[in-house]
Amino acid sequence: MIYRVRHVTHYEYEKPVSLCYNMAYLLPRSTPYQNCLTSQIRINPSQSQGRRRTDYFGNTVYHFSLEQPHSELVVDVTSEVLILDSKYARNLELDLEFGVTCGQALVQLQQSRDPELLEAREFVLDSPLVRAAPELRDYARHSFGRDRPLLSAVRELTRRIYTDFTYDPESTTVATPLSDVLKKRAGVCQDFAHLAIGCLRSLGFPARYISGYLETQPPPGQEKLVGSDASHAWFAVLLPGEGWLEFDPTNDKMPAEHHITTAWGRDYGDVSPLKGVFFDGGESQKLKVSVDVENLQGQMPLAGTY
Amino acid sequence: MDNPAPMVDALTYQPSDSGYDEAYGSQSQPLRHWQYLLDGLQALGPQGIRERQHKADRILRDDGASYNSGHPSTSQTWPLDPVPMVLESEEWSNLEAGLLERAELLDLMLKDFYGERSLIRHGILPPELLYSHPGFLRACQGIQLPGEHQLLFYAADMIRDQNGSPLVVSDRTQAPSGAGYALENRTVMSRVLPSLFRDSHVHRLSLFFQAFRLKLNQIASQITDDVPRIVILTPGSLNETYFEHGYLANYLGFPLVQGSDLQVSNGYLWMKSLGGLERVDLVLRRVDDFYCDPVELKADSHLGVPGLLEVARAGRVVIANPLGSGVLENPALVRYLPQVSEHFLGRELRLASIPTYWCGIPQDMAYVIENLERLVIKPCFRGSREETIFGHRLSTEEREQLIAQIRRHPMHMAAQEFIRPSLAPAWHQGELRPRPALLRSFAVASQASYSVMPGGLTRAGKTPDSLNISNREGAVSKDTWIIASEPEKQLTLREVEPRTMLPASGRTAVFPCRVVENLFWMGRYAERTESALRLLRTVFVQLNSTYEMPQESRRLLLRAVTELTTTYPGFTLVDPDLVSEPEAELLAVVLDGERVGSVTANLNAFSSCADQVREMLSADTQRLINDLRDQLGELSVSLQPGLASAPEEALDPLVTSLLALSGLWHESMVRGLGWRFMDLGRRVEKALQTVRLLRAALVQGLPEAQQVWVLESILMSLETLMTFRRRSRSGNDLVRGLELLLYDGGNPRSVYHQLTLVQEHLAELPAAAHGSGLAPEDRLILEAATSIQLSEPEQLAAEDPENGQRGALDQLLARLQHLLEETSTQISGKYFDQVKVHHQLVRTSWDEAL
Repeated sequence: MIYRVRHVTHYEYEKPVSLCYNMAYLLPRSTPYQNCLTSQIRINPSQSQGRRRTDYFGNTVYHFSLEQPHSELVVDVTSEVLILDSKYARNLELDLEFGVTCGQALVQLQQSRDPELLEAREFVLDSPLVRAAPELRDYARHSFGRDRPLLSAVRELTRRIYTDFTYDPESTTVATPLSDVLKKRAGVCQDFAHLAIGCLRSLGFPARYISGYLETQPPPGQEKLVGSDASHAWFAVLLPGEGWLEFDPTNDKMPAEHHITTAWGRDYGDVSPLKGVFFDGGESQKLKVSVDVENLQGQMPLAGTY
Repeated sequence: MDNPAPMVDALTYQPSDSGYDEAYGSQSQPLRHWQYLLDGLQALGPQGIRERQHKADRILRDDGASYNSGHPSTSQTWPLDPVPMVLESEEWSNLEAGLLERAELLDLMLKDFYGERSLIRHGILPPELLYSHPGFLRACQGIQLPGEHQLLFYAADMIRDQNGSPLVVSDRTQAPSGAGYALENRTVMSRVLPSLFRDSHVHRLSLFFQAFRLKLNQIASQITDDVPRIVILTPGSLNETYFEHGYLANYLGFPLVQGSDLQVSNGYLWMKSLGGLERVDLVLRRVDDFYCDPVELKADSHLGVPGLLEVARAGRVVIANPLGSGVLENPALVRYLPQVSEHFLGRELRLASIPTYWCGIPQDMAYVIENLERLVIKPCFRGSREETIFGHRLSTEEREQLIAQIRRHPMHMAAQEFIRPSLAPAWHQGELRPRPALLRSFAVASQASYSVMPGGLTRAGKTPDSLNISNREGAVSKDTWIIASEPEKQLTLREVEPRTMLPASGRTAVFPCRVVENLFWMGRYAERTESALRLLRTVFVQLNSTYEMPQESRRLLLRAVTELTTTYPGFTLVDPDLVSEPEAELLAVVLDGERVGSVTANLNAFSSCADQVREMLSADTQRLINDLRDQLGELSVSLQPGLASAPEEALDPLVTSLLALSGLWHESMVRGLGWRFMDLGRRVEKALQTVRLLRAALVQGLPEAQQVWVLESILMSLETLMTFRRRSRSGNDLVRGLELLLYDGGNPRSVYHQLTLVQEHLAELPAAAHGSGLAPEDRLILEAATSIQLSEPEQLAAEDPENGQRGALDQLLARLQHLLEETSTQISGKYFDQVKVHHQLVRTSWDEAL
């Protein structure tokens, strides 16, 4: 499956900004299950300095600064991403009721000298936005019986979050703490991902945050609207012996061919799409974001063959 | 020696029997390397030592050597014990070798943490030890300094245990403080105990700083083809060790900058200097890494430079120590040093560390909770408020709280065995007494390894049982003498430590705009204060005159006080009581620091400008500023309402100090740009103050008898009364007065004279791009000078018969005031950086530090 993703971020400032320094997690990374074929970032006004690099987690991050006065900032990213068959093939074949149990996983994490497991322990620890808490452990606990396969338990957690929580963009902001989300039983994809990660960490399992996109289908009989897609977030858990496996609590799914990964980290803070500082610009700013995920099946992608 | 009457008591040093003694070891006789010093002190006698101590205190105060102990606005003079710490060079070379090895090991760890992380991947360190530490900055992954070392500057705190064996207590790896204080201590000691110092053949410190500067230059040279530019980044004058930042900047010859003095542009780092942007190749930072870049690190920090980390990552600036090096300060790492050493070096470390536990592993946590009363508990991350906790000092309740805290965040807590440090002789209230001692040593990367400072910063506890030997807890510092056990083999190094190093070749002194701006404002505030004081003095004199001043003159003069100082509403209120009983308001104009424009407020502003540029000020200037601060403090006592003595006399010392200051600036400040801006500020302010005063006092026409009172008061406050009286008495008094105060180029107090000086300064400033012809500020001053020349004194003195006002005079003075204020605005806009506050693109409210 090949997707073309266009993600446009538009800031409008009350007064001209004289100077700004930013970093963007908007360019999809490659993973064992996805190749980023091309990605292009255009900044308007055309930037003075821009640089792409790979960060600590292996994500692609783009730094740019603008040194001329500007009242608007447009960050326009177009990427083409190939999702490898092996990803959903594996997910389909996986027997969730089989494999390492929760108890075994915890023991292996503590005792194994396998570098992958040693490094994964980073994702058990608190991160700035997701901290282990007794109420999270209490919420998650009964899905994680000692002898239950870890996969099955995480799948159930995903389903419970999907069932117990209402998707409501009005209910939270970027800064809403997890305890509030848990209390309100409402949030958006980012909150649900954080919630699941918090639950897993509270029980001692490594979990990480994934930002990306999801191809959405228009209601039957309707054309898909331009810009109607949105960026998305889900999580992954480390299964000893199997590696990182992804779950989407917002949609009660294991991400397969419709999920496009941009970046991952300990939580949203590690991979927030655009952050930075600016000088002047007045008191307020307007932000518009539009995302289009286009399935290129049958169309010629921009990049050559693969 | 100069005092032949030693008191046996005070100078008979009784080593403590409760620990290892530095001077006696475990013997009953002083160790050989202490003998000479102890004899020398004996010969000086208590009085002699006391005198030396006073001298030392005076030098430290004059040098501005202070330590802000956390309480805002109280900056204390750096405490220095006249008795140095002495170490013998043979032992020292062992310590030195141990410190080198430790620095090398920490350097390898730093590389590994931000590189391969083999220590984690091979299971040498528990992953959580690194990953849970807030000082581990993931954004710094992969940043490599040019050259062999990542850790360029390192400090270790050491004590000696009961057996006299040295132990490292903690490591300082991001921006170690104290080296500058050690140097200042040495400078002072070599002046107060010159012969004792000279004859002890103490190892010199300057070579260490030369090595440091050389190393920084070498590294910076690798990223530029030009002569490298190195700056010292300070969090600012409120920082507890700010003195040292300026001191090192001067000593090493690097500009001292704050975050707002720097800017990232076109992928490089620049300093905003008077001549424009100057590229910076290396930043020696005293700002904690977390605060250095709001884009990638702490988003609401205003101490750093937005975009700095990305420039460092691109290898276009070197930050020393590199960002992220704070991770090595985790005390829990010490627990694993033996394994790490085995892994990297294949051997044990020579220099032992204090036994350490990390609550992040269950068996250690159990041990710590079990043995709290014999342990010292430390947070793994020093950035937090938590301080070192001594287990045996805790009440039952505190103990329970601490245990709960440990259980809640075990990974954030470490513990060390409590070991009583050795005791060293210290001068305490006129007696030589044993005090616990802590030595901070410094190492700097050099060639293939490190160089260790032959000496260091010793601190001695306040009491024999002091546990926490820190400045906050009243510890004193000691110079640290490494001396040869056999002096005759030593080279005689007669020179004392040089006060500064030679300037870096090929570079003229460049300083940030902020410095020039503060000098400009120092000039303005000094002048503003002086003119206010002069007027107040005159008003006090006139009010207490044996002849009673006419009511209308009195009203006008008091009003002029408010207008000149802008302490509105003050005497501009129509309130007869205020005019008949003005004392309280007049005192408030002097003493009320909360009122903008008061003498106290202006002097405080002056003083905070001076703090910002401390490293630019001579010791004499520093001394005068200290005097001003003291006198200001005394004013509130000597200027009490209802005191019979003439209040004007209480103001005299301040006026005298300000005059001394302007004399000093005039006589002994190098005529560089710094001086020019300071003097420009003074001239603009002086012209402005005279214009305001004339406008407030002379625009209102008065009957002749009353007019004379006002005119003479103004002339008196501008020190022109004698001249006025000496000159011919023909013609209108007011016309003659105006001639003297406005036009007379020969009267240094006239507005015209000041304007001429402003013009001269402006002509010498670096031209900025304003096209051909005159710059805006040149035009403004030209217009001001010309409008004075074109006006006629007789016309200005003429009263409007309708309202009794001197309209022409008011118009001219109003215009002059506007032109002068505008000139200052132009100068600020052109030469000074308009410091702006940055905003976050997306407001992040979470606490990155966990």
